[in-house]
Amino acid sequence: MDALPKDGAMGATISEKILGSHSGSRPAQAGDVVVASVDFAMLHDARATNALTRIEQLGAAKLPFAARTAFVLDHYSPPPHAEAANIHREMRAFSEAHGTVLYDVGDGICHQVLPEGGHLTCGDVVTGTDTHSTTYGAFNAFGTGVEGTDLAAVMMTGKLWFRVPETIRVDLKGRLQPGVWAKDLTLAMLGRLGAEGANYKAIEYAGPAVAAMEIDDRMTLANHAAELGAKAALLEADEKTFAWLKARGAREPRPVKADPDARYCERIEIDAAKLPPQVARKHRIDDVVGVPEVKNQRIHYALIGTCTNGRLDDIRQAAAILKGRRIARGVRMIVTPASRNVYLQAAREGLIEALTLAGASVEAAGCGTCVNITGHLITGDGDVVISTANRNFKGRLGNANSEIFIGSAATVAASALTGHITDPRTVEGGVWRPISNAA
Amino acid sequence: MNIRGKAHLLADDVNTDIHCSSKYHPGRDNAYVAQHAFEQLAPGFAARLAKGDVIVAGRNFGNNSSREQAVHILRLMGVGAIVAASFGRQFFRNCINNGLPVVECNVSGISENDEIELDLGAGRVAVPARGIVRETPSLPGEVQAILVAGGLIPFLKAHPDWKPV
Repeated sequence: MDALPKDGAMGATISEKILGSHSGSRPAQAGDVVVASVDFAMLHDARATNALTRIEQLGAAKLPFAARTAFVLDHYSPPPHAEAANIHREMRAFSEAHGTVLYDVGDGICHQVLPEGGHLTCGDVVTGTDTHSTTYGAFNAFGTGVEGTDLAAVMMTGKLWFRVPETIRVDLKGRLQPGVWAKDLTLAMLGRLGAEGANYKAIEYAGPAVAAMEIDDRMTLANHAAELGAKAALLEADEKTFAWLKARGAREPRPVKADPDARYCERIEIDAAKLPPQVARKHRIDDVVGVPEVKNQRIHYALIGTCTNGRLDDIRQAAAILKGRRIARGVRMIVTPASRNVYLQAAREGLIEALTLAGASVEAAGCGTCVNITGHLITGDGDVVISTANRNFKGRLGNANSEIFIGSAATVAASALTGHITDPRTVEGGVWRPISNAA
Repeated sequence: MNIRGKAHLLADDVNTDIHCSSKYHPGRDNAYVAQHAFEQLAPGFAARLAKGDVIVAGRNFGNNSSREQAVHILRLMGVGAIVAASFGRQFFRNCINNGLPVVECNVSGISENDEIELDLGAGRVAVPARGIVRETPSLPGEVQAILVAGGLIPFLKAHPDWKPV
């Protein structure tokens, strides 16, 4: 499935190859519209009302693709009001009737449970009813966000139309320094390209800095490309990818590499080794500065979690900073593991105990404190938040008179410790580096 | 596919979740929202728009807007097509999937109430009174087939095997 029959004239990007191999024999080129087969699909609770209505309108007698679709109850986990609880009831009943995979309240965030559940592999096309479905690109899959009508079409036919995107190639030289994460790298990209700077486009991330990253950090890189407007974000697969997928029972990988002469609409080179920790300032994800520029900013909430940074390495990094210490007076810290598996492993490693003793609250897995609709956190007037989330629109946490800054788990934990935004490299434990957790 | 109607202008970066959905009209139905769509950006917009008229907008129309409801409301308003300098990605998909033609085109020089003509197959936008004729990316046959059917759901009801795509 990897190499398409080449047209001889021109090399292909990863997106062109994957969408080409899923839409018949002809190679796909950027700009083509193809009807491609889909390998796995996802619907989460915040989009379920529209999607289930559209499926009903389609009126298909059978939904042959149901077994390759996961329903994930993560945004309203647990439900903050009766409407959400009733959406959950509807999703469970539909899942039971049609035989979809179901991840219920507390199982975790869609973008974490799909890879953990072994539902996707290298070379796949995966659609999810969520912008951050780009996450699956960390596993060399073409993952992209769609809406309810799209999901209805996939569940009935196993296929969907796609415009094959142009690709921005990002070559990451060197290696991120300890205390600097994929989060910082993406924030730096946002500062450079602007939010929506990759609208309609795919991004390919490559180079030694990507190879050096563990899977958790690669997932951050692919996930956060959504803030750049990317349709997909693709990484090449390597031994770490294969081992991770194999340990979770994924299908046989069909890794796809870009041709050396692939055509890109833009090429960007970044020296990862020179990058310091970054922060997005209040209200705009692309208003990005180095941490030292905002180091005196006082904070009231420190939040670790969401589909961008609620993974084990994020929690390990936070615990490395906070173990045996106490968060600053006046700071509330909430940690939300991305999945039940992450929670369990964090418990086994003593991380939850360490964070709890430090004064943090560790919540059950789910979308948590990402956005006010989840009901987990509404801020007060004048509250300043530092969060690992991916969005900081004014009012995102239910109060337009509060401010949200965005940074890595290392920066958030270091800031919780001091009470103001802090460069993690200046605190003990802030230059912790993950070891391979591939298997 | 050819469309002809009066142009109604909107600016850059219009978020349809905010200006054309029930996001800020909780509990209101689509008919209500349709009467008030884009009110904050262009007072009286919905009242001026006649069935088949064309929205002409700037960059990033529908940016950060992924609710299909916005497109349902635009159709309810009778919008015949949208011509914009660029579109938000998911918004663009939602329009095609709900049978609303969308065309990327340089919109400079086009004014409110101009008669505008779209030829989706040939890839052309024209405002004859101003001598404007612009080539646009022609919509591929696959996308035109979905639009002609009135959206992806009616298309798949008629062609469950995706043929004649």
